Amino acid sequence: MEVNKKETLRYLGYRGQEMDANLEALIDETSQELLNSIAPKSVHQEFSCSTEGDDVVHLGPLVIKSKHLAKNLKGCEYAVIFAATIGSSADTLIKRYSLTNLAKASVVQAAGAALIETFCDSLEDTIRENAAARELYLRPRFSPGYGDLPLELQRDIFRILECSKRIGLSLTDTCLMFPSKSVTAIIGLSPLQNNCHREKCTDCNNTECDYRTN
Amino acid sequence: MTKFIDKLGTKMLFFDGAMGTILQSKGLLPGEIPELWNMTSSDVILDIHKSYLDAGCDIVKANTFGANSFKMKDTGYSCEEVVTQGIKLAKEAVSAAGREAYVALDIGSLGKLLKPLGDLEFEAAYEAFKEICIAGEKAGADLCLIETVSDTYEIKAAVLAAKENTNLPVVVTMIFDEGGKLLTGADVSAAVALLEGLRVDAIGFNCGLGPVQMQKLLPELHRVCSLPIVMNPNAGLPVVVDGQTMFNVGPDEFAGVMKEIAESGASVLGGCCGTTPEHIKAVISMCKDIKPLKAEDKGLSVISSYSHAVELNNRPKIIGERINPTGKSRFKQALRDNDLEYILKEALTQQDNGAHILDVNVGLPEIDEPSMMERTVAGIQTVVDLPLQIDTSDIEAMERAMRIYNGKPLINSVNGKQESMDAVFPLVAKYGGMVVCLALDEDGIPETAEGRIQVAKKIIAEAEKYGISKKDLVIDTLAMTISTGQENSAITLDSLDYIRNEMGVHTVLGVSNISFGLPQREIITTAFFTIALSRGLSAAIINPASTSMMNAYYSYCAINGSDEQCFDYINQYSGAAQQPSSSAKQSEETSLFDAVVRGLSESAYTAAKELLKAKEPLALIDEDLIPALDKVGQGFENKTIFLPQLLMSAEAAKSGFDAIKEVLAKKGTASSSKGTVVIATVKGDIHDIGKNIVKVLLENYSFDVIDLGKDVAPELIVQTALDNHVKLIGLSALMTTTVANMEITIKQLKAAIPDCKVMVGGAVLNQTYADMIGADFYSKDAMGSIRYANELFEK
Repeated sequence: MEVNKKETLRYLGYRGQEMDANLEALIDETSQELLNSIAPKSVHQEFSCSTEGDDVVHLGPLVIKSKHLAKNLKGCEYAVIFAATIGSSADTLIKRYSLTNLAKASVVQAAGAALIETFCDSLEDTIRENAAARELYLRPRFSPGYGDLPLELQRDIFRILECSKRIGLSLTDTCLMFPSKSVTAIIGLSPLQNNCHREKCTDCNNTECDYRTN
Repeated sequence: MTKFIDKLGTKMLFFDGAMGTILQSKGLLPGEIPELWNMTSSDVILDIHKSYLDAGCDIVKANTFGANSFKMKDTGYSCEEVVTQGIKLAKEAVSAAGREAYVALDIGSLGKLLKPLGDLEFEAAYEAFKEICIAGEKAGADLCLIETVSDTYEIKAAVLAAKENTNLPVVVTMIFDEGGKLLTGADVSAAVALLEGLRVDAIGFNCGLGPVQMQKLLPELHRVCSLPIVMNPNAGLPVVVDGQTMFNVGPDEFAGVMKEIAESGASVLGGCCGTTPEHIKAVISMCKDIKPLKAEDKGLSVISSYSHAVELNNRPKIIGERINPTGKSRFKQALRDNDLEYILKEALTQQDNGAHILDVNVGLPEIDEPSMMERTVAGIQTVVDLPLQIDTSDIEAMERAMRIYNGKPLINSVNGKQESMDAVFPLVAKYGGMVVCLALDEDGIPETAEGRIQVAKKIIAEAEKYGISKKDLVIDTLAMTISTGQENSAITLDSLDYIRNEMGVHTVLGVSNISFGLPQREIITTAFFTIALSRGLSAAIINPASTSMMNAYYSYCAINGSDEQCFDYINQYSGAAQQPSSSAKQSEETSLFDAVVRGLSESAYTAAKELLKAKEPLALIDEDLIPALDKVGQGFENKTIFLPQLLMSAEAAKSGFDAIKEVLAKKGTASSSKGTVVIATVKGDIHDIGKNIVKVLLENYSFDVIDLGKDVAPELIVQTALDNHVKLIGLSALMTTTVANMEITIKQLKAAIPDCKVMVGGAVLNQTYADMIGADFYSKDAMGSIRYANELFEK
């Protein structure tokens, strides 16, 4: 894996400001330090899937009430639930650098966010290949907390995938994940190829967000 | 019936195989709680136990793996009910089999992460395990099996719960990855050091890996472990077929590898995920006649952190001495101010300078040492992975630190006084640890080498009574200054030499005492250090920032051959300093204003030091630091610079303030403050980088900041604000779920302190949301909060 520098800079709020060599070096070195210390792990499992009305999803053993997810999964016969993490080194580095060098802490934060996305993309590629062999196509991945999909769904996902035991991912009472650079998501597998892949920011209603891509 | 503990290690013993994956094949749904089948489908559980007993196993794992109170919450059953029924079913199967077999109380991970990484208190984890252990012993279990655990801290809580509340033997099997690491980062030797220190009865691996991968980790376990070894692998690595997880290694293949594992030293065998009665039957038929290798004492002198072990051996070790208030006014001030951050930085610096172990001493007459010690040890373990040396004469502080320490600590110290040994050795026997033993007793410090050796022998004999072997003792033969008697060096070195080389016990010295009262102390200290190393010094308590001491150290290790191929020496001295890096440019000579604007920390410190020779601290703040910060802050708000640049400047300004604080601490005056702000990440939220940024910026603008950290209960925030008469509180929350706690906190604050102001920030917030939850100010970014605080306090 590589650290996507463009994404890292975006998470840092970069808007084309002038950077001196010192700062460039700091960003590159810190990204590399993080990259050298990560331990990516993932787990996924496929379930049968169907939607009922416009806001109920049946996914394996789960019945989920969510308009946005139902829309996302409409027409899918199967869906994959996955969990992925780059491990706890990003959290450790952030903690250390919060004490000694905040600028580096912010870079680890940003590079970590970029890395987990890259890792999820590669995992999605594997799932896509496997699905293609069965003439199934992937819907955009959808995570708890997106739209009206409740964050509390994390509890079910963690139980079903045994995240704690399998990949060392744990959940707080308030449904936050540790290690923090982790993602859980649902990916619908549809018999229809649907090329209408929209940027994920389009679906978000936080229009004031600094990191919005469109 | 022969007790389990009497058979353990003397003959091959066999665990059963998987429960969970078999239940899945019998209809357990993904996400369903397997332990509830004890209550709803007890016949199925009973049959599974029976089938393993028919296969010939000696130990049945009761279906109690996840029966803890966290997982039982909202199921309608209590932990005690499910554990009791689980043990009952296993015992019923054993009695139906009509032969000698044992029931293990199966204790798995709580599925929650302990603080500081997660949100579960160590003692809350302990209580949950305690409940299981008490119920399990009462229901008639023969042993505790703590299994599939991957966090040494959780393991420690579980073992303490089992040891303090039951009389059952304790077996621990952990889940390592193929690289030989637990999920929280510990390697095999670190985990074993911790567990042997806690005096468990057998150690091993389970789950995560198949027999082939586990076999690869066995030599390392065998190298460090002096206890019987247990191996319960999965039926191979999991493979995902069409989205479903499968385990593909069949019984014969499984048993073939298990036979090799038994021959190379494991004496207890069984299976985990994917294994079946057929697997266990095959293992038993191939391994039952093997005579187990006797578990022998490996004689290693080891301490550990949550990640790795440090072994005292031919290669001397450096114990960093800087976390100690003696003679340090700035450090004393930090202790009085509860300024943990200052202490943690000392820890990080010493690690960067090459320390292997850090001494932690926070003794100051006017502070509550036990609670400060506990906080400091826990705090250091959030940022530094070196083993710690707990340095205190306060027994309560020692015990509290040992209990919450994640690893096997070094204890500093016990001495030959009966009172000291009576207090310290029981703690070491219970929590594990190596102990520094001072060669002095009721009669004082012996004035001859022979006298110090006699005291050492007395301590070793007394330790033996507690089952503490000499491998866990480190004798300090006490370096005393040669300025009051030049024979002092010979007494120290002769006794040290004898103890290390004739008695085979490790040695340690607080080296620098040798030069007390002499000019240019480092010259004498370094020479003495080198001589002590050559006479057999195992570890030295020194300041790792001393170049001459570290030069002596690296040279000695290269010369005595413990630094193989002079690797570390070459690494240390072959032009590493010439490598260009972001920190290389930090020390350009420039004005304080420019240094802050450009984010050059070291230059800012140097420039401030220089300016302070002629300028008053306050003038320096008003005329140099604040204008520079204002310029940078403005740039950030106008988007001509971005976040890391702002932060580099903030750090540089902080270095400038450090220079000021040093001057003030020497004068004994406190720095001036605009006012006090309490900041916290709200309850349930564990993200704190944003809050930390605000903190540094507030401090730069001369606010006193009380940082309560993350996951902070509303009550604590209110109480802190009340106690300190604070009128501005900053709250951070990252997730929609935790914004609810932010709202609760604001309500409580407003009720208790009607005129207080609350500013909020965090990823999910916006102005509308902030208004909705009753915040006084929404800060879009870090600079916003500075502006608001400045306005508020100028009124």
